[in-house]
Amino acid sequence: MTMKMERKLIQGDFIPRADDELIVCRCEEITQGEIRKAVYDGMFTMNEVKRYLRAGMGLCQGQTCSGLVQKIIARELGLAPGEVEISTSRSPARPIQMKQMARDGVKK
Amino acid sequence: MKRYELIIIGAGPAGLSAAIEAASNGMQVMVFDENERPGGQLFKQIHKFFGSKEHKAKERGFRIGEKLLKEAEGLGVEVQLKAAVMGIFDDKEISVMLDGRVEHYRANNIVIATGASEKMLPFPGWTLPGVIGAGAAQTMMNLHGLKPGSRVLMVGSGNVGLVVGYQLLQAGCKLEAVIDAAPRVGGYGVHAAKLARTGVPFYMSHTIKEAHGDSCVKGAAILAVDSSWQPIPGSEKYLEVDTICMAVGLSPMSQLARTAHCEMENNPLKGGLVSICNKYGETSTPGVYAVGDVAGIEEASSAMIQGRIAGAAISFDKGYINEAEFATRYEEYQNSLMQLREGMFGHKDKEAADMEHTEEGYILSQSLLSKGYMDAEEIEEYPGVYPVEQRGKGVFPVIECTQNIPCNPCQDACKRGCIKVSGKITNLPSVDASVECTACGMCVVSCPGQAIFLVDETLAPGYASVAIPYEFYPLPEPGSKGLALDRSGTSLGEAEVLKVKSSKAMDETAVLTMKVPVEWSMQARFFQVY
Repeated sequence: MTMKMERKLIQGDFIPRADDELIVCRCEEITQGEIRKAVYDGMFTMNEVKRYLRAGMGLCQGQTCSGLVQKIIARELGLAPGEVEISTSRSPARPIQMKQMARDGVKK
Repeated sequence: MKRYELIIIGAGPAGLSAAIEAASNGMQVMVFDENERPGGQLFKQIHKFFGSKEHKAKERGFRIGEKLLKEAEGLGVEVQLKAAVMGIFDDKEISVMLDGRVEHYRANNIVIATGASEKMLPFPGWTLPGVIGAGAAQTMMNLHGLKPGSRVLMVGSGNVGLVVGYQLLQAGCKLEAVIDAAPRVGGYGVHAAKLARTGVPFYMSHTIKEAHGDSCVKGAAILAVDSSWQPIPGSEKYLEVDTICMAVGLSPMSQLARTAHCEMENNPLKGGLVSICNKYGETSTPGVYAVGDVAGIEEASSAMIQGRIAGAAISFDKGYINEAEFATRYEEYQNSLMQLREGMFGHKDKEAADMEHTEEGYILSQSLLSKGYMDAEEIEEYPGVYPVEQRGKGVFPVIECTQNIPCNPCQDACKRGCIKVSGKITNLPSVDASVECTACGMCVVSCPGQAIFLVDETLAPGYASVAIPYEFYPLPEPGSKGLALDRSGTSLGEAEVLKVKSSKAMDETAVLTMKVPVEWSMQARFFQVY
């Protein structure tokens, strides 16, 4: 299945804001400026910003920052926060060590 | 793969209540919780709960947790701790991280009761050590016996901010201020009043600008915002604090519901992203239920009832109780839930609430909503305040409960029937001046809002006694002197402790009676040790 998404980049130049240095995703140390820039680069959904920057991919798995990231994307796009597509939720919902994952299905 | 009739994710108030209900009907129940201790947030709640007797009102949260756990264990519910559920898959299969390995289970029904996490507000310096969630402060104090800091700024005036603020005072911290961007105190007025009368200032329509410090918090700059949340230039204040506590709301932990493909909605009234549930708590995925904060942020009391409803619905669905039995229980639980959702802070009325009058038509104290305390002139208007003309006869109660909140332990506390909450549970309590007060103090200690005082203007010529609820250790000795503070926390002058009454039935709330000049009888509401 191939699906090509039609979208236009935001018109105009990226204008830095005074508070762009603010860290939004604490786990991965992603700033507001980086997220805003990502939107200008064409990342319009939570999944896209997550894959582009790793915001929400750290220890808390976006529990703290996803609402904040959603608000920033919405503001840049002129949408209500609820209109920004949220990222996929999938197992594992908690951080897990690779060796534990590898032991899945192995008898005790 | 082991199969259970019912798997519950989360051993907090909602999950344990669902487990108790289902197990009491004969179901085989397994509860997974990722924490080391069961009970969810209940074991951090050292304050007395609101509600009615049926809601376990005036009991302290952690004791409610102990009872729930004992009841669940007695019914044969298995509770597996340190078990983090990783995901919910098709056919109600769940994977759990347990003892360093991944285990798979299958259930006929699943109840998601994973609760909520704290929201955060980013501001310059918010990643400095010393900026913590209010819930984290509570964990440090009430589970681990640690003081989070010495001088604290509380950001957020909802019940979480107010309750944790009070617990910070109890732990010996200095609460420098409570701030909120909203123009009105978000939590119960009685919770705010408990802080205000110890001298904690409330800055409404204020937000945090930044935290100062290089390696940890050394201070905080706050500033006023206008009605469209824009900063007002020149309004900046600097507070010397080492801890900034964030109580800016909770967000439902809904990831597992999403892995179960439950249909979701973004509902700001429920705190964010929640699964869409029917009236029994069942999500769009058949057999998967969501209860408690994960289904919409509310109080623990509501979470317990939601758990009960889901447990009953599952028991009925699986044939453990018949339709008539289910209908009876559902009605009982639903009525109880609706009671808790009544009033100006209720689940439904939060937006539409009249902020000028109570439901009975009494004027709401705007001072209480904007400053955290009532002005002395306002207090005489309420039905819980003993009429002026009857006050010369001896001890009389003064109930400073002036907002419609779902709570009524005071009426059962008075064995003589002096206090009534007639009609709805949210109605203001009224005092019956024809009943003689014996000054037993049980109403004072039973009020979860600590809003009842006993006043005697006939103590001695020119002097009155004022009895207040008191929960700070060490308890002052009779005969010791200190300051009488008014509702705003301003010192009126010296007061002498006459007696300090404490007993098992009073459950750690002492009644401190102080002697003050008679003209302060309706003003002195806190005793500050020298």
